Amino acid sequence: MAYFKDAQEVYDTIGKLMQDAATDDELAPKFRKANTIVRYEYRDPESAITVRLQEGQPGDVDFGASDMEPEVTMTMEADTAHRFWLGGVNVTVALARGQIKASGPVSKILKLVPLAKPLFPRYKAQLEAQGRTDLAGV
Amino acid sequence: MSFKDFFQYAVPTRVIAGRGLLEGTGFEFAKEGATRVMLVTDEVIRGTGLVDKVTAGVEDGGLEVAGVFDGVPQDSDTEVVVACANAARDAGADSFLAVGGGSVIDTTKGADMIFTHGGAVADWEGVWSLPRERDGLGRPRPLAPLAAIPTTAGTGSEASPVAVIKDRERGIKFFILDWPLSPDLAILDPEATATLPPQIAAATGMDALTHAVEGVTSTEWSPHADAFALHAIRLIHANLERAVADPGDEDARGNMLVAANLAIAPTGLGATGITHSMSHPCGARYGVPHGVANAINLPWVIEFNVQAGDEYADRFRAAAELLGVDAAGDATTIGGALADHVRGLSSRLGLPSRLSEMGVPEEGIPQLAADAMGEGSTLPNPREPTEEDFVELFRRAL
Repeated sequence: MAYFKDAQEVYDTIGKLMQDAATDDELAPKFRKANTIVRYEYRDPESAITVRLQEGQPGDVDFGASDMEPEVTMTMEADTAHRFWLGGVNVTVALARGQIKASGPVSKILKLVPLAKPLFPRYKAQLEAQGRTDLAGV
Repeated sequence: MSFKDFFQYAVPTRVIAGRGLLEGTGFEFAKEGATRVMLVTDEVIRGTGLVDKVTAGVEDGGLEVAGVFDGVPQDSDTEVVVACANAARDAGADSFLAVGGGSVIDTTKGADMIFTHGGAVADWEGVWSLPRERDGLGRPRPLAPLAAIPTTAGTGSEASPVAVIKDRERGIKFFILDWPLSPDLAILDPEATATLPPQIAAATGMDALTHAVEGVTSTEWSPHADAFALHAIRLIHANLERAVADPGDEDARGNMLVAANLAIAPTGLGATGITHSMSHPCGARYGVPHGVANAINLPWVIEFNVQAGDEYADRFRAAAELLGVDAAGDATTIGGALADHVRGLSSRLGLPSRLSEMGVPEEGIPQLAADAMGEGSTLPNPREPTEEDFVELFRRAL
């Protein structure tokens, strides 16, 4: 059974983490060096998060439909995204298995993977603070 | 040795190797469904007479050569790919045969992709990005029959699911990775490398050695990858210098074709490392030939990666022993001995030892390091490098 019952739950959890990261004084400038717009398309439940990572631009994060034209699209199950943010996904293996598919200049996003690690404990803490202990321990 | 949580292994390409195979090209390619073949090559190879021999081989098997596209430059790009696809359509071709090195083979893969699926080349950039059944979750839709006859022994593109193509507008090389890009057929015949200049044989051979060493020492190593990569190292040790010193040594050339073909298998499935992460931007930004860049960067990366822990030190030891290196001692000793051996090999092959000799300026290092961080080969490296680590590695290699 999927971790999230609908798109809103994805936005309330993973989406919130991305929104917070986009305004984080320490991390946001590093992420914006990617200089791209990435769209995460999730299955089960169908949902999408579009993130602007561009130097000199605001860190916009859109849920669902977006006017931002993505340069990179990462497609996966929402469960895979959730486990990634908990630090439980080997991205190389997930790409090799096709659990994550990527379209566009993938390198712009791959270089962010090591930078994302400080967000793993934050995501777990955020879930606990949100009362989603059912998700924090998976 | 640990049992891995996950690995997969697949070599979808049917490989035939031996002597006198060019004359049977049509007989073999017919088994893959080809009838009207678009032969893709470059002007240099066409000038050697090899294409005439392959054409005769295609026709001897009852197939037609619908056309010959010989406009692939050394550093091919998206425009050439589209021109090749258009030429195939205009000629009424139903299949593609690449006769050349990595640039020719990757151009052919891209052309087949556009010929089959349409769109712009960059539309398909990414990982598992080609059309699939079941709304993207099922089996990938096949390309038109695709075969390759490599004329260098290095890139292994004749059996990999990857195409690397230059986008001049964006000033980058990008990759497309998906199973249908694995050719249906690869023909390894040393006659196809008979006119290979020694300096290219040397550089491409070092590319194969890099694939093999990184295949064994990547975090994505696997028992299957080990079997292929370690035997590739044996073959390279026994044949590379012979093939370069004596282009008439058909045994050495044939064995190098097999070595390159074996060595690419782990790389094509993600068992690679940061030698490639460093070498790709050297090629994209400064035109350093891939094999030369790998030859320069590999020893520095070995010395860096050998500190990844005992398991990886043992893996470097296994590679070193097959190259005839005394691999006793601790990780630093193993790494130093193996790196020195690679430097010595490059020197004996007449290859440059410094990136600066290839036109890479010191002020270019920060951008090269930033590029290397985003390379797909960085994630499966046994040690997680920082951008500062890359700066230091480039400084050493400069």
